[in-house]
Amino acid sequence: MPTMEWAWLIPALCFIAFPIIAIFGRYLPGKGSFLAILAIAAGFVLFLFVAYDRIDQGATGLDVFTREWFQAGSATLTWGIIVDPLTVVMLGLVTFVAMMIQIYSIGYMKGDPRYGWYFALHSLFAASMLALVLADNFLLLYVAWELVGVCSYLLIGFWYEKQSAAEAAKKAFVTTRLADVALLVGILLLFREVGTFSMMETFHQAELLMAGEDSLLSSGTALTSALLLFVGAMGKSAQIPFHVWLPDAMEGPTPVSALIHAATMVVAGVFLVARTFPLFEAAPDALLVVAIVGLATTLLTATMALAATDLKRILAYSTVSHLGLMMLSLGAFGYTAAIFHLMAHGFSKALLFLGAGSVMHGADQTDIRKMGGLAKVMPLTSFTFAIGALSLAGIPIFAGFWSKDEILLAVLEHRHWLFLAFTLLAVFLSALYMARAYFIAFRGELKEENRTAHEAPTSMALPMVLLAVLAAGFGFIALEWGGGFEGIGSFLFFDKAHGFEFNVALAVGSLVLALLAVFLAWSSYLKGKPYLSTLKSLTTPFPALAERGYFFDHVYQWTIDRVILVFSGFLGFFDRVVVNDTGVDGPANSVKRSSFNLRRHVTGRVYNYALVMVLGALGLGVAWWAMVAVG
Amino acid sequence: MIDLAFFQIVSGALFAIGLYGVLARRSAVLVLMSIELMLNAVNLNLIASAAFLDPSRFTGLIIAIFVITVAAAEVGLALAIVLRIFRNRATVNLDEIDLMKG
Repeated sequence: MPTMEWAWLIPALCFIAFPIIAIFGRYLPGKGSFLAILAIAAGFVLFLFVAYDRIDQGATGLDVFTREWFQAGSATLTWGIIVDPLTVVMLGLVTFVAMMIQIYSIGYMKGDPRYGWYFALHSLFAASMLALVLADNFLLLYVAWELVGVCSYLLIGFWYEKQSAAEAAKKAFVTTRLADVALLVGILLLFREVGTFSMMETFHQAELLMAGEDSLLSSGTALTSALLLFVGAMGKSAQIPFHVWLPDAMEGPTPVSALIHAATMVVAGVFLVARTFPLFEAAPDALLVVAIVGLATTLLTATMALAATDLKRILAYSTVSHLGLMMLSLGAFGYTAAIFHLMAHGFSKALLFLGAGSVMHGADQTDIRKMGGLAKVMPLTSFTFAIGALSLAGIPIFAGFWSKDEILLAVLEHRHWLFLAFTLLAVFLSALYMARAYFIAFRGELKEENRTAHEAPTSMALPMVLLAVLAAGFGFIALEWGGGFEGIGSFLFFDKAHGFEFNVALAVGSLVLALLAVFLAWSSYLKGKPYLSTLKSLTTPFPALAERGYFFDHVYQWTIDRVILVFSGFLGFFDRVVVNDTGVDGPANSVKRSSFNLRRHVTGRVYNYALVMVLGALGLGVAWWAMVAVG
Repeated sequence: MIDLAFFQIVSGALFAIGLYGVLARRSAVLVLMSIELMLNAVNLNLIASAAFLDPSRFTGLIIAIFVITVAAAEVGLALAIVLRIFRNRATVNLDEIDLMKG
């Protein structure tokens, strides 16, 4: 029976599937799509064995399996995997969601000219993400991290014939790449101090530092490197100010958006902070920064989601907002809550994106203003979308309710009450925009042009139903079931296990806020009551600002046009005039000029040569005579 | 009695006349003839020196024969070249033969 040590096979299978599909896919039935699904399904089965073995051998333990890769100087590089609760949980999320999305894609991408390549990329994407969560050293993690970035670039720009898709892919790649530089610097800084890329060794030093014993890390280095790692995480997880790439990434095929938003790419940043949590704990100031960035992100992007009218953009801003919540939770020492919310959000958001894809497939619309009443023609999509929306809105009994509650609890316990107030505001906004999207798109009068819309085919419906089941019921793993299972807090935790904690006042308060938001959306968008427009005019100028995305894109564009391009223009001028014309061409030109002058001595007349020869001979004679006479 | 110095003066004069011819003449044939004159000046010098300084040895004579041989070969080659130039350019004037001009 496969044990934990087999976990490396999970990404390996997908890595192997990638070149096979890319090269031989065109000769295989279904263009090789079944290979990708087979690989990820095998990964999912392996995950079940690994999870079983993990629980069997002490559920909260941590095992590292390494093989030496090569030695360079004093540093030994290894291939290695960590199997601990965090890894197991992430493996489950990634394999399951990726599998669902690939099955869904069979129907969604039918007839695409690059059908096989699409599945090959999906395999590589899943493989990179799986390698990322398994990596036991920073170098391997960085390699997987960059592979994730490349895959997202290729998939967002999958329809690269479209100008906007190509530009969105470029934007996503450049933005995340910018942040990755900080990650690399952070990793190298840690390597310089600790002398190894191994995470376990680094964390051990961080714990020594915490305990006030002799450590290779100084508190300054711990803070600097934690912040640098966090900047890398901000890029991938689209935290302000790096969030601009995620809404544009909607240009890719919708299942790709689902994958990026739920299981891969954006959760990599949250995962990185969770994985390197010992380091962050040794630098509490870094955690405060994490909390502040998370809170700012969640609030700003929630209002942007409220102002957006494109269904996929609403979901994209919602993702950024919830990623902000996860970061905030990590920043408030809510390790369990963050990962719990990551999973609850992952299932819900994958479901919502598949629903949005189903709407695009069936009704060929992305603007919610042109939708309305779709529940009548797409009952299944509408129903599953509602479950996803309820989960994200934090309505009990759906998954998002439990995880959101844990986050609120963590913020209440570890941070200033202002943090809690703003988090509650974010919860309210989150419920409001989800309700808004659902009511406008699926309820109300069915528009004439949407009467021909049709329900999704089976291959698309099945993943939606399975994900809906999880989005609805996943939250119950927070509870104590008895029989040895004491809730997710006793399995996945940092420092000390804790059972399910429930603050009644907090839960009721957040629920009232969420229900109020749903009621407001219902009465305003379906019953025509002016509550929301009143609210909008009360909060001026925020709605207008949110509609323009708080001018982040404008500021970046201005910076690129006026600062970077001007500076690059100056550098280009310097290169052309000083380096090229003066430095390189200058000497060459002077040699050329002197050659032109010097060539005049070559007269081509034989008596000139003869004269020189005679003078030379005379000169030699005189020299010889002089030497004899003197010497 | 004629002294060695007389031979050397004649030889030097011949050499100088030849040198002048090489440098001053514009006709390739005349330049060749001047070179022959220089070679013969050298021959005269060699033979005179050999006869006056050490008559029992004939090193100088042998070198003179070498020079005559080389001169014959040289004239044969050089005249052939001059002929080819004349065929091609209808002139042997060195002023006009400046293909190597830079």
